[in-house]
Amino acid sequence: MTHLKLTNISKEYSGTTVVQDFNLDVEQGEFVSFLGPSGCGKTTTLRMVAGFETPTSGTITINGQDITNIAPNQRNVGMIFQAYALFPNMTVAQNIGFGMQIHKEPKAAIKERVNEMLALINLEKHAGKYPFQLSGGQQQRVALARALANHPQVLLLDEPLSALDAKIRVQLRSEIRAIQKKMGITAIFVTHDQEEALSISDRIVVMYEGKMEQVGTPFEVYNFPQTAFVANFVGTLNSASAEVLDPAKGLITMDGVQLVTVEDMKNRKKGDAVKFSVRPERFSFASEQKKDNILDCTIENITFLGAVVRIQVKIGNTKFNMDTFNNPFLELPKIGDKDQVTCSKEAVLVLNH
Amino acid sequence: MKRGGQAWAWFWMIVGILYFFLPLVATFLFSLRARLGVLSFDAYQTVFNDPNFIYNFSYSVFWALLTIIVGILIFVPTAYLIRLRLPQFRAPVEFITLLPFVIPAIVYVFSLVRTFSKPPLLIVDSPVLLIAAYAVLSMPYMYSAIDTGLRAIDVRTLTEAAQSLGAGWGTILFRIILPNIRVAILSGSFLTFAIVIGELILADYLVKPAFAPYMAYLMQQKAYEPAAMAVMSFALTWACLGIIQFVGRGSDQTQIAGGH
Repeated sequence: MTHLKLTNISKEYSGTTVVQDFNLDVEQGEFVSFLGPSGCGKTTTLRMVAGFETPTSGTITINGQDITNIAPNQRNVGMIFQAYALFPNMTVAQNIGFGMQIHKEPKAAIKERVNEMLALINLEKHAGKYPFQLSGGQQQRVALARALANHPQVLLLDEPLSALDAKIRVQLRSEIRAIQKKMGITAIFVTHDQEEALSISDRIVVMYEGKMEQVGTPFEVYNFPQTAFVANFVGTLNSASAEVLDPAKGLITMDGVQLVTVEDMKNRKKGDAVKFSVRPERFSFASEQKKDNILDCTIENITFLGAVVRIQVKIGNTKFNMDTFNNPFLELPKIGDKDQVTCSKEAVLVLNH
Repeated sequence: MKRGGQAWAWFWMIVGILYFFLPLVATFLFSLRARLGVLSFDAYQTVFNDPNFIYNFSYSVFWALLTIIVGILIFVPTAYLIRLRLPQFRAPVEFITLLPFVIPAIVYVFSLVRTFSKPPLLIVDSPVLLIAAYAVLSMPYMYSAIDTGLRAIDVRTLTEAAQSLGAGWGTILFRIILPNIRVAILSGSFLTFAIVIGELILADYLVKPAFAPYMAYLMQQKAYEPAAMAVMSFALTWACLGIIQFVGRGSDQTQIAGGH
């Protein structure tokens, strides 16, 4: 059953549309990420759900109740901010219990819930500390506990990990996901970090210039991007220009090299210019296994990235990156070697511009 | 800094200290000469034993405290609202709060008397006018202190966090904003206190039994007692400033947060 529903949501500021025709149904307990570059409208959309911005048009409902014009303090929506927003004059325990105090819950119930939340975030020993005495990661955990203590209908997270260093970010995002799953709470997570979105989301909404580019599971968004923007923004991508050779057979040509794709080119005709993309990890050496496309190449560069080795190859006149897992027992080619690379027809993406 | 430069720095500092403190030392020594041939605190004793001193000083303290409370109630919500919702009004409001610096007190008091001594605004004898007048005089200090305090916290995010937890405006102001700018409020309050205690023109022309008019009267009647009161005024002002420094130094509880 749809728990959170955004219908035809749009937002304008002084004639500029920052969110356009946003439609999304979120199920109970689902973790949905809004992913996109700065200025794409993801935070604005989140803030409309929170009630800090009013939609220019459209409706937002939670459990069938229209909350579009309800004040933010009446929505029972928990929110976590990039800047933590812990109350500096209150201890950790007081911060966590604040929402319940506002709702005039009994003291005993508040104490019990606060202890429960402290145990959930493993900060029982820090109950009496003030925010300035905590690290960034600890502060964000307290912010999470504070938002959850109130039994919110929906949890909103506005780039909560952006202010943290890389290692803490990875650790905390897993913790957030685990807690969200354990509590079964619907969550909307805003981020510009694709790795974050891919690793913890049930679904991702990729946004660009106020519009939804694609909605899907991380697997779908990464492997089957529907637009050039999604393909470029999510994951790394090789892109090149080509010409349609045979639309019925899915044949395109680039620098005299033929490639076959499964993309639907019924609306195109021979000679049409197209842009195609192939993910670096979809290439492999033809000597290992031959797939639909077998392409002659020259080894241009080899970069060791740790777990991955990035080999730059030249196919025709165009350079492509090929990513292969590091295998110390596999001999790598040398720069300047002639070789063959291969990829499946599904790997060749011809996208809408 | 080169040795020569350092020597000059010390020289001018000593000159400045002497320029400022010599008259004060002279005043203090004069205040100790009430008894012939002996340095004594007789002048101070006379002042403290004067029932008018206690009455006038208490009067000023009372109205100073009321002015501080009124100032907090007016300026905190105003500065908060401007910072949160109306940033375009910040510059005009700051200009208005600085007007007491440029309008002479005598002009100010005459316009108050003229405006509020006729119906329907006949409140020239009311204490309301005195509080309002003092609040306006202390505006540059109180508003500026509060605004500085608000700048040091992320007003918007704290407000939204509180709202997301169900808090209304009153709760946000009194439980979140006020406690986090208490040092700034204290600074503004002590400055307001010092100004009200030492303010002469308003109290004199509105015929109020305040401390400064009492001091002025005493200067015309006695010799050593006014010097003693001048020294006490300085001591009181420095004590207020010292407390501001002490309280402000102890507050390091700013939130460490990215994006702040």
